[in-house]
Amino acid sequence: MLLQQLVNGITVGSLYALMALGLTMVYGVLRILHIAHAAVFTLGAYGGLWAWHVTGSFWIALGCAMASAVAAGLAMERWVYWPLLGKPPIATLIASIGLFVGLEELYRIAAGPQPYAFALTPRLPELRWGPVLITPPQALVISVTAALLAALWLLLVRTRLGLALRAASQDRDMATTCGMNVRRVVAFDFALGSALAGAAGMLVGIYYNSVSPTMGDVAGYKGLAIIVLGGLGSIPGTVLGGLIVGVVETLVIGLVELPLPRDAWAFVAMIAVFLIRPQGLLGGR
Amino acid sequence: MRILEVVGLTKRFAGVTALDAVSFTAEEGQILGLFGPNGAGKTTCFHCLSGFDAPDAGRVIFDGREITGEPPHRLAQAGLARTFQIVRPFKGLTAAENVAVALGRRRYQGLGAVLGTWRGEATRRRALALLERVGLAAHADRPAGHLPLGMLKRLEVARALALEPKLILLDEPLGGLSHEETRSLADLIRSLRAEGLSLVLVEHQMRVAMSLVDRVAVLDHGALIASGPPERVRRDPRVIEAYLGEDGGAAGH
Amino acid sequence: MYVYTVATLIGIYCILTLGLNTVTGMAGQISLGHAAFLGIGAYTAAVLMVTYHWGFWPALIAAVVAAAASGAVVGGAAIRVRDDFLPITTMGVNFVVVAVFLYSPFFGGAFGIGGIPSPTWFGAPVGKPGFLVLVVAAVLLTLAVNLWLLRSWAGLALLATREDEDGAHAAGVDVRKFKIAAFTIGTGLAGLAGGLYASCLTFISADDFGFPFSITILCMLVFGGIGTNRGAIAGAIVLGALPELFRPLAEYRMLTYGAILVLLMRWAPHGLLGEESALWRRLARRRAA
Repeated sequence: MLLQQLVNGITVGSLYALMALGLTMVYGVLRILHIAHAAVFTLGAYGGLWAWHVTGSFWIALGCAMASAVAAGLAMERWVYWPLLGKPPIATLIASIGLFVGLEELYRIAAGPQPYAFALTPRLPELRWGPVLITPPQALVISVTAALLAALWLLLVRTRLGLALRAASQDRDMATTCGMNVRRVVAFDFALGSALAGAAGMLVGIYYNSVSPTMGDVAGYKGLAIIVLGGLGSIPGTVLGGLIVGVVETLVIGLVELPLPRDAWAFVAMIAVFLIRPQGLLGGR
Repeated sequence: MRILEVVGLTKRFAGVTALDAVSFTAEEGQILGLFGPNGAGKTTCFHCLSGFDAPDAGRVIFDGREITGEPPHRLAQAGLARTFQIVRPFKGLTAAENVAVALGRRRYQGLGAVLGTWRGEATRRRALALLERVGLAAHADRPAGHLPLGMLKRLEVARALALEPKLILLDEPLGGLSHEETRSLADLIRSLRAEGLSLVLVEHQMRVAMSLVDRVAVLDHGALIASGPPERVRRDPRVIEAYLGEDGGAAGH
Repeated sequence: MYVYTVATLIGIYCILTLGLNTVTGMAGQISLGHAAFLGIGAYTAAVLMVTYHWGFWPALIAAVVAAAASGAVVGGAAIRVRDDFLPITTMGVNFVVVAVFLYSPFFGGAFGIGGIPSPTWFGAPVGKPGFLVLVVAAVLLTLAVNLWLLRSWAGLALLATREDEDGAHAAGVDVRKFKIAAFTIGTGLAGLAGGLYASCLTFISADDFGFPFSITILCMLVFGGIGTNRGAIAGAIVLGALPELFRPLAEYRMLTYGAILVLLMRWAPHGLLGEESALWRRLARRRAA
């Protein structure tokens, strides 16, 4: 029983991690809270759903989900975040909130408030391992997430672009001095984070068989709690944080009767970590 | 009379010993220079003296009273003022208002904070007088965010003076200024000493700083390597070595 | 009578924006969870009046105290976190508070609390016009508190804290104490709004006090001109009245808010009447002439 819940928790947790990575990456380079990231996530879900309806192919749909998310992320970076860079942080925060709120409404107006089904059944076998069952959707989520994270890791650690990204998140001014085209690195950073969120959006849509305009809300808020929990700007911290929240949530709901809704647990975990270790689990400084 | 006594100040960061049992004193009415190459520990020492950090060991005694580890606002209220290396003006407030903030130091404790107003004539007069002292009276009503660096450094001094301090800690005040601005700021510092104020000057620009100070303490790699009158210290082989190791030039570039 | 309800609500918005201005505008502490304190005030008053049969006035005072006390606790937590973390922390507080209201049977759970009585004045129930007068009086009281704060040394300490914490600290300001004070005052005012809100609507439920409403309040404040009291009131009036005046707009309210926020930050970050806004500067020049 416990092991099964663990598997469920890890599945959910990896979705959280995938979604939250974009947030931590943007924070790392620009030191801003990209609240509108949740809207990018939702767009990915819609984009993937549409592409799947049209082509019937999972991979094309995933590509479309990521592409539409990237487009949205880059647009935000170019027209809202970059121009606001010198201004006080509250201005960027409010603009981000405005984007988030406005875009969700736009989705509601364009696609309608009712949720759409995303009835994609992955052509994967059911995996049984003793008392533990991994359903095809779970297997899909876990494998795609793992693949994306591996790709991300390779990119960050093995390529020059990845090195540039890491340098820029340590010290943006210094990176400029070293002759790096920071503008392009920042854009790339947004694109990468958004792509992951787009994929997460589509996977969430498949896993819960539902795509709706407000599906980004919960993921968005939780994402913020997760990146703080893991340590702002720390990519491994975010992955760890996402998994922890996913597992804790699932275990608490599955095993214990506590008077708090599922979604509040992310914040409870965040506050708990704050009190013990203010910089987050893997955060520096 | 010793206005400041630092005894065995030690600070460690994650395995690195930034300050290693540093001890020195500052005499009343004099300017003490705290010098040393980059990474010597001057900044760490400064943070410990000004309450922005607490040492792991050692004591700081100000005006006969132990102040080790006390927070900045308490030090300000006790008459120990400081300026910042990277100026920290209240950009949205005018120059006069910037000074007024420091004038309220006694009011911020207890009920004084809610009774009375800072917008009265008395406060304004005192603020203007302080701005006059540092040569900024003409800019009293300009927002601090609009002032150039040279003036902001003077504003820092005015704010420090508003605390009616016995000792002012100056954190690399001469950095980033033109020749002209450096000269006039140095003159201002000398005039403060002439009024009986004690000062501790942390500086990297040795040539100008040497001409300002009465005594010098030199740090290197967290330890005190020399102290005494400037003419003697600048010839101390250990000091020359420390600076040579840094930038290949003699002490006093 | 509909006009009275709208005007009363706008008055309540004013109290909320003024309170948020104290925390975020004056002291510079970004709070994304202001609605939570509205909720704490509202639920305190509601429970006291409905379950324990308290009178309106004592319940209102209790609402203020409860909200202010909670605000002090949050302020205490806020001083321990780094600047970047504060907005998320306040968001988290909002969520946790709403969750508690939603799931706790003591607070009516998902059904909320209904049947909240209206205040009485010398035995007779205060009608809609009377309630409006009450709310206007509360707005004036709130404004008085903020104006008094601005001219006091405590207010100067808050402004200094907003501009530069280290500078303020070195100038003698106990930054931590004043941050907590800002939160306490701002949230206490939200509690006042809460008590009035509960009686005005006679029915409250946890969803009224969630993150979207916190954003609405912030939007009003920013639109009017954050950091100024006139901005807080102007923002509450304009953005409070707009959906009522242009009915179709109400349908797309969040879209409008979102667009306003983004455009404002890009091109007019000081809002309508902020210190450095074009409109205010023109008005100030005209007055000086």
